[in-house]
Amino acid sequence: SRAVPFAGVLAAHKITASSPDTDLPTVSGLRKMGVNFTVSNKDTVKSSDVLFLAVKPPIIPFILDEVGPDIEARHIVVSCAAGVTISSIEKKLSTFCPTPKVIRCMTNTPVIVREGATVYATGTHADVEDGKLLEQLMASVGFCTEVEEDLIDAVTGLSGSGPAYAFTALDALADGGVKMGLPRRLAVRLGAQALLGAAKMLLESEQHPGQLKDNVCSPGGATIHALHFLESGGFRSLLINAVEASCIRTRELQHLADQEKISPAAIKKTLLDKVKLESPSLSVASASKVSLFTSKS
Amino acid sequence: GKVPASSIIASAPSDKNLDAWRELGCRTTHCNLEVLQESTLVFLATKPHILPGVLQEIHPAVGPHHIVVSLAAGVTLQTLQWLLPAGTKVLRLMPNLPCVVQAGAMVFTRGSGAGDEEAALLKSLLCSCGLCEEVPESYINIHTGLSGSGVAYVYLFAEALAEGAVKMGMPGGLASRIAAQTLLGAAKMMLESGEHPAKLRGDVCTPGGTTIYALHQLEKGALRATVMNAVEAATNRACDMAED
Repeated sequence: SRAVPFAGVLAAHKITASSPDTDLPTVSGLRKMGVNFTVSNKDTVKSSDVLFLAVKPPIIPFILDEVGPDIEARHIVVSCAAGVTISSIEKKLSTFCPTPKVIRCMTNTPVIVREGATVYATGTHADVEDGKLLEQLMASVGFCTEVEEDLIDAVTGLSGSGPAYAFTALDALADGGVKMGLPRRLAVRLGAQALLGAAKMLLESEQHPGQLKDNVCSPGGATIHALHFLESGGFRSLLINAVEASCIRTRELQHLADQEKISPAAIKKTLLDKVKLESPSLSVASASKVSLFTSKS
Repeated sequence: GKVPASSIIASAPSDKNLDAWRELGCRTTHCNLEVLQESTLVFLATKPHILPGVLQEIHPAVGPHHIVVSLAAGVTLQTLQWLLPAGTKVLRLMPNLPCVVQAGAMVFTRGSGAGDEEAALLKSLLCSCGLCEEVPESYINIHTGLSGSGVAYVYLFAEALAEGAVKMGMPGGLASRIAAQTLLGAAKMMLESGEHPAKLRGDVCTPGGTTIYALHQLEKGALRATVMNAVEAATNRACDMAED
């Protein structure tokens, strides 16, 4: 996904991004923004204070092993990886650095249009100022607040997955519009604007969404007839079910990861090879993991 | 307590309906015309199919000073005005059962002959029995669906609540009393706080707590839609019956 150079909070040239795979479209996008780019994770760590680990959860252990030796007390390690706990990161890093500052965050895709929903939980050695720094950065791309770590799964279910629910709803709303005669593009545009406007009204209003809903429903009118259909279909319970399912699945995945049940085979071999290439100085523990992988091939 | 019992006269064909009135200290008679002669404000509380006959009977005794209030379900202002002398002050009232415990919900609507004074009089008399609001005639059938029949929906809900408690091990009598008090208390909070029920609901739901788990069950069962269906069905039936 496209990174946003923290809209006005941080200049692009102060950001360094690294990726082993230079062919990704994100790379050229980042370069265009003026972000420094490198293929070396180690170089990134050395030149930065705040490190965002923006890799998929199974890769996290490998990245931590790679950059661990270069982590210093000043570094703030921010993980956005779903289901990866603060304690698991602290455990990994503590073999290299006695008091690693770790912050875990959960964000969502609309950060790319600066309307993200982000929460963060601070680890054992992260100070209040560290949390506030992250909050300031993430607040530039949407809403950001601190939470207890045990709520992060619920946040995933709600606002992490939330945009997908919205896209599904919008697709269906557009279908409804098309069925009743609107051209598709217009239907999509109007549907999106309706949800955007409604969300904005709710955020800016003191009123309960139930009240706002009532305000739209004139007696015996079109809207109340439509709402009756939604209720008949169990609309509300479907949404509750969705948030619950996403939250539970997040916990399941975390549990699986904790038990290291996710097989290295699930990780793209090409990616791991590149990780191996750039880090000649791996600790013994991870070297054995990597060699286990390569001997498998 | 707004009108002394001695100022009230009730009429019915047989004595069995009149005993209750007598016990309250009201005068009674078997003659409808006598009621018209003795009273200014007249309530017509017969079954709908009886009413036209009664109206014809009292027609000669109805004067411009009379205020006639009909409680007959489904008998429209148009019908009432048609069967009474032209210009008669006619109103239609739809109460509900809990009026008998002074916690009723009543709506009334005025005919062309009735003015602000009559409406105000009726409202001031009836508000001692509960909520009393003036409405356009088109709302009367909706009131039936919502509150006239609505009382039965509440009884059903209360019964189900109690049964749930019995299933979980509570004795039925206790469960029933608690169910009723729960409904009473929640309704009282709604009326006294003026807050939106959705907000009041949210206030009871602690994160991850018992209430939200239960509400999820209710939503899964599409309770809201079912209730809407019920109100709609009763309202439509009231409309259908009125046309008969």
